[in-house]
Amino acid sequence: MPKIEIESLTKTYGKKKNAFTALHNISFTIPDGVSVAIIGKSGSGKSTLMHAMSGLDRPEQGRVIIDGEDILKLKPKAIDTFRSKKMAFIFQSFFVQGNDTCYSNVSMPLEISRVPKRARRARILAALESVELGDKVKQKARNLSGGQKQRLAVARAIVNHPRVLFADEPTGNLDSVTGSHIESLLFTYAKEQKATLIIVTHDDDIASRCDMQIHIKDGHIEHIDYADMLPPIGKEQGHSAKLRGQKIRITEPKS
Amino acid sequence: MKRIDIMKRAAHNLTQSKARTALTSLAIAVGAFTLTLSLAGGEGARQYANKVLQSNINPQAMFIVKDPSFFDVTTGPALQQYSADTTQVRGTTVKVLSQSDIDAIQKTGDFTSVVPVFNLSMRYLTISGHSTKYIGQVASYDDTIVGSAAAGTLPKLGVNIGDNQATIPEEYVTTLGGTPADYIGKTLTLTFAADQASPSAAQIQQAFLSGGQSAVTQLVTPKTKDFTFTIVAVTKKGTTSVQANPRVTISPNAAKQVNDFVTAGTDKSGKYVGVQALVKAGTSSDAVKKQITNMGYGARTAKDLQGVIFTFVNTLQGIVLGFGLLALIASIFGIVNTQYISVLERTSQIGLMKALGMSRKNVARLFRYEAAWIGFIGAALGAALGIALGWVLNPIITNALSLGDQQLLIFVWWQIGLMIAALVVVAVVAGWFPARKAAKLDPIEALRTE
Repeated sequence: MPKIEIESLTKTYGKKKNAFTALHNISFTIPDGVSVAIIGKSGSGKSTLMHAMSGLDRPEQGRVIIDGEDILKLKPKAIDTFRSKKMAFIFQSFFVQGNDTCYSNVSMPLEISRVPKRARRARILAALESVELGDKVKQKARNLSGGQKQRLAVARAIVNHPRVLFADEPTGNLDSVTGSHIESLLFTYAKEQKATLIIVTHDDDIASRCDMQIHIKDGHIEHIDYADMLPPIGKEQGHSAKLRGQKIRITEPKS
Repeated sequence: MKRIDIMKRAAHNLTQSKARTALTSLAIAVGAFTLTLSLAGGEGARQYANKVLQSNINPQAMFIVKDPSFFDVTTGPALQQYSADTTQVRGTTVKVLSQSDIDAIQKTGDFTSVVPVFNLSMRYLTISGHSTKYIGQVASYDDTIVGSAAAGTLPKLGVNIGDNQATIPEEYVTTLGGTPADYIGKTLTLTFAADQASPSAAQIQQAFLSGGQSAVTQLVTPKTKDFTFTIVAVTKKGTTSVQANPRVTISPNAAKQVNDFVTAGTDKSGKYVGVQALVKAGTSSDAVKKQITNMGYGARTAKDLQGVIFTFVNTLQGIVLGFGLLALIASIFGIVNTQYISVLERTSQIGLMKALGMSRKNVARLFRYEAAWIGFIGAALGAALGIALGWVLNPIITNALSLGDQQLLIFVWWQIGLMIAALVVVAVVAGWFPARKAAKLDPIEALRTE
């Protein structure tokens, strides 16, 4: 259950005249095992933030501290290993390998993190079972429907028991029914495994299910909402307490 | 990621675009096919040449001449200074050995026999039963090389024919008519004319005074002499015979008599083009050759002859190998192209693998293994096709060239294995840059596609 601390993160694209700052000095802390929504319009910098948090991207300034370790200070190979063992991704456009079987798709993260062959099979089957694709093990991924493909992507993401699960618009390409199915799969996994779930979205329905909502606009944090049950955290305490009040006010009448 | 898993993934990825993999491999297969056949052909030719040499040439035989440059390919300047020690052999001026040279060679004690080689040229020959006079070439019978007989019998290696015996080549029979067997036992008459210095004016005057016109005619007409022999064999220009041009052969003793007659009273008397020597058994002909060379003579051993033939075979093989390599170079670009396209097509896959934590090194490795598989498939396919063709062609070639049980295409497993391994390496090198491109791909960019 890693705690994730982001300290004064700044990311700039391009050089000199054409420079574009995607993230302006962003800081926040995600406590152990919570679900987080990063909300913002397209171009707001929310994807960039996710990439920086996962070590896929290298911001010029700032620190990303996961489990007490600044992953931006690690060597590329160490970040790769870190990612293969502790993180997983789900993308809007699935990125399942259509020519491979479901089994082979799910096997990939295990191969990358050097899980011995004999240990793989049971875990792959369990992951496929948990997303209700137990009967499609030998099917080629391209023969699956959109919802099934995203479920396969979820199976691939959870098979190696990641501590942090990143989902980039996971329901963006799906209809509402299949979308909510995927949602519940993600939240169920995060809850059962006490993993941190970070969802990048502009869908308020999903965002409202998260413990913490980080609103991004033009590379700045607009505000952070915390769900009712969470205590205010860290140095952002004062700031967030105010925002927290707002959220409670909105949600209170329903409860 | 473990190596075995990468290899499996690489093989699996290739099956995703079967047609492309097949075509790229086929390009390599063409090169591999040519290499396989040229390796097999070269090996076969060398083994064949070796077999021929070993069964037909006495390894102890050595041919010695006065001038070491005799064996050089270049014959020196066209206009050479005259010396009494030179003679013409087939249009080339060579220095000759004298009796003192032969004595010196014999004195080394390394030889069992030293036989001069005579440069004989006959005036004409006749064969009993045929009235026509023919011209032909004549040489000493070489008992260090076994020829094959179309009719009659030739002596074993190391044994010469009798002094009144001769062999004629099969080609003569074609002109004379009949079968080779018809000529066994017939009498062959060789007519030689004695060399003589042109008579001086005083000699002619003397002759005219003493005997008139007829005496002068007799003086300027060269003396001729007939030498008669019994034909014991008709030699075949077989595939295992090294002797090239058709000629009559007589024993060295008979040749010496002829030579003595021809050169008597001239400055060529007692001068020889070279000697055919036989190194004592148990003595290395190479060591003896060195000694002879140190004495200032030129020498060529049976082994050198083998070297000459091997050089020829190797050159031919080199040419064919060159074509194979050319085909390979073309196929390298095929691999580079295929792999570049593959990287472009699979950017999202590469991005995903990197997001999942696959290291740059392993991404590059994945693509290199794919290239290696293509190389392996192509090389194995080419080798298999080559071997298959060898299977089909070998009996046909053997039959057409009447090689007996000798095969001309001999496949050596370690050579083929080495060739396949080399092609895999070549393919990996060709896949190097595309693999590096894949490794350098920015995962964020890659995942933005679609």
